[in-house]
Amino acid sequence: MKYDDETLMAFADGELDELQRAEITAAMENDPGLAQRVARHRALRAQVAGAFGNLLDEPSPERLVHAARGARQPAANTRRGGDVVQFPVRGSRHPATSWRGREWGAIAASLVLGGLISWKLLAPSEAMMAASGNSLVARGALASALDRQLASTQLESDSVWIGLSFQARDGHICRSFELRDAGTAGLGCKVDGEWKIPVTSETPARSGDVRPAASPPAAVLRVIEARISGDPLDPAAEEKARDAGWKAARR
Amino acid sequence: MTARLEEIGEHIVALLPRLRRFARSLSRNQHDADDLTQVAVERALRHRQQFRAGSNLASWLFGIMKNAWLDDRRSRARRGEVALPEDSGEHPAVTPADTDASLWSVSEAMNKLPEDQRLAIACVLVEGMSYKEAAEVLEIPIGTLTSRLARGRSALAAALSDEGKGGPS
Repeated sequence: MKYDDETLMAFADGELDELQRAEITAAMENDPGLAQRVARHRALRAQVAGAFGNLLDEPSPERLVHAARGARQPAANTRRGGDVVQFPVRGSRHPATSWRGREWGAIAASLVLGGLISWKLLAPSEAMMAASGNSLVARGALASALDRQLASTQLESDSVWIGLSFQARDGHICRSFELRDAGTAGLGCKVDGEWKIPVTSETPARSGDVRPAASPPAAVLRVIEARISGDPLDPAAEEKARDAGWKAARR
Repeated sequence: MTARLEEIGEHIVALLPRLRRFARSLSRNQHDADDLTQVAVERALRHRQQFRAGSNLASWLFGIMKNAWLDDRRSRARRGEVALPEDSGEHPAVTPADTDASLWSVSEAMNKLPEDQRLAIACVLVEGMSYKEAAEVLEIPIGTLTSRLARGRSALAAALSDEGKGGPS
C-alpha cells in the first residue's frame, strides 16, 4: 500500500480517522520505511514545538499588558503601517463562529491551560516529554508515573493521572495518562525500555475539581482502539505487569 | 460595555504568551513580533463586539494577528522598504549566544518560508492547532491548509538539515 506524504503527515498530526489510523499503524509494522517517514514528521513537529515552547515562559512586556487592558498610551508602533490599516470587516463571519459546541468554561480554561501546555511539557527544567531519535518519549515525572503508578491506588492529588493500561497488538504494554496541570492527555507504550508517546491531546476543560477523567480525549481513544488487543488490564494484571517491568509479551 | 472590556482584556492578558509566540514564529525579530502583538490586541479590542461569547477567543485573536501581519508585510512592500527587512540579518530576534540553539535554528529556517507556508506551520506546529482550527484561523479550505503545511514542512526539514550540515550562513 502506498501512502502519499500528506496522508502520513496527517497521520503524524493525529488528523486521520480511526480506520485510516489503524490501517497505517498496521502497515508501519511491516514497513520500516513507512514507519521512518512518519517518524520524521513527528520529529519535525516535536522540534518546532520544542523550539518555541520556552517562549511561553517569558513575562509579557508592560506595554502589551496595558494594550490588552485597553489602556491608552503612546505606543511604540504608531509609525508602523499595520496600525493604520483598517480591520477587515467580514460581516458576522469570523473564524470562531462555526465552533458553537465550545462553552465559555472551556475557553476560560484553555486560555490558561493552553498557554501552559508546551512549556510545562517541554521546558528543560521539568520536561515530561522529549524527542528521542524519531519519536517522543516520556521523561521526568511522567516517566516515573508510567513506571510505578497504579490506576487502582493513585491519589486524587497525583499530578499524573493514569487511565487504562493494556496490551497492544504488537505485545507492548501501553498506558493512557493525563497531565492535569498541563491539560494534556496521551498514551505511553513501553518499547525498548522507554515510554514512547504515539499521541497526545489537549484534555477538555472540566468545571471545578470534578475528578477523575471519565475517559481519554477522542484523539487518544482512537489510538487506543487502533492498538488494543483484548481488554484493558484489570488491577491485578496491572500490578503484575508493573512488577514484571512492563515487559512486552512474546507474540 | 465597560465590564465586558475588562473581562475580555483579562482574557487577552492571559493569552499574551501565546500571542507573542505566534507573532514570534511569523517574525523573527522580537521587537517586530511585539509590535505585531500590540497591533492585533488593539484591533481586537476596537472590534470586540464582533467576538461572540461562546466561540474561541484565542482563534479569533490569531486570525486578527494573521491579517495584521499580512497587512504589515504588504504595506512595507508598498512603501518600498526592503521587502523583507527581517531577512537582512541585521536585527536577528535571537542569536545562538543569548538563547537556545534550537529556537535560533528553527526561527532561521521558518524565516525562509513563503508567507502562506509560514502561517500554516505557525498554526499547526508551533501553536498545536488542529487542521480545522488552523484552516478557520487562516480562512482557507482544509485542503489548501494541508498542501501548504506539507510544502512548508518539506522546506523546513530541508533548511534544518542544511543548517545542521553547513552551520548558520
